[in-house]
Amino acid sequence: MNRERSATQRLEGMIGEVLRFGTITSSTMFAIGLVMSIVRYQPAVAQLLLVAGLVILLATPVARVVVSVIEYMRERDWTFVMLTLIVLLALAGSVVAAYF
Amino acid sequence: MGTESSNPLETLNPLNPLNLTATLALIIFGAGTVAGALGVALGLGGGIFLVPFLTLVLGFPLKSAAAISLATVIATSSAVTAQRAGNQLINLRVGMVLEAATTLGSLLGGITAQLVAESMLQRLFGIVAIGVAAVVLGRVNKRNVILDATVDPGRLGGRFYEEESRGIVSYRVKRLPLALFASFIAGNVSSLLGIGGGIIKVPVLNSWCGMPLRAAAATSALMIGVTATGGAIIYYGRGDLQPLLAAPAVLGVQVGSLAGARLAYGASVKWLKVLMAVLLVIVGVLMFLRSMQ
Repeated sequence: MNRERSATQRLEGMIGEVLRFGTITSSTMFAIGLVMSIVRYQPAVAQLLLVAGLVILLATPVARVVVSVIEYMRERDWTFVMLTLIVLLALAGSVVAAYF
Repeated sequence: MGTESSNPLETLNPLNPLNLTATLALIIFGAGTVAGALGVALGLGGGIFLVPFLTLVLGFPLKSAAAISLATVIATSSAVTAQRAGNQLINLRVGMVLEAATTLGSLLGGITAQLVAESMLQRLFGIVAIGVAAVVLGRVNKRNVILDATVDPGRLGGRFYEEESRGIVSYRVKRLPLALFASFIAGNVSSLLGIGGGIIKVPVLNSWCGMPLRAAAATSALMIGVTATGGAIIYYGRGDLQPLLAAPAVLGVQVGSLAGARLAYGASVKWLKVLMAVLLVIVGVLMFLRSMQ
């Protein structure tokens, strides 16, 4: 019980870090790309920054789930390994539905 | 906006950033700020306010509005969860269980959104908004906390420090199958309408599954990020999610979220529920009127 709680807190901390990194990176790219678009400076670079910002934004929650899968595997908590893998599979399904 | 075109998106070729006027960017940024502040204050993603604004005021097609809104939902979820991680309001285990249902729902919704008509989506949005308002108003006084920190909350339950009672409170999670079902529907509606799905999950988790409002909202905020990602990937792949329009919305929502967190901290839960219900009814009626046009 206590071990389970401390493991959960550890995971929560890791998830927080992943989400913080993704948020700051994508928002920074969005801000720079947007300002560049508005002042019409280097449109190709601006577009690249905006697309990269969006891709990082979308990748952040996926990375959070990947971290969770790994952490639950380390804990040998197979129920939650399975649940988080279902989430990853559903996201993979979205990629398939988007492009095929 | 520089042109009289009936569809503002026609003037915005995604491959040509030069077409985005500063004014439109500023309007989207402002709308994002307001939606983000309201969303965080109410424990929702903000999409329920941003989508109606983009479609009803700026005239965006619902699919584009939904796609932009999903991007802001992801940003809100990531930012808010990063900020809250460690304060025990988020129920990580409940979140991971229910996410399996929300992401499957969002996959299905993302596919469905490509197949149904615009007016159908608008009507669905109206129905969802008004239905949730009714649920929220009907259960305004429910708190679901056990004022005893020593009670065993069970494997899925939790404990946290509650402002209202100034102490550690516990809660147990009941009716998991109902929570799973609601999460599946929430994920489905999330992709279809560009909302986080918190408007469905939070009332269900709070009213029937035993979770206190703040814990339900924090856990939902965690889940909506990955849920919205499922839908957003599909919209992006299909060309409905334009980075140039998503960027000001996302940045606006980020700014608004910071303000909203302060708003939620000071306001009473009961007052927030009433405000949420009133706003949802207004949004629902407007969407319905739009679908008739």
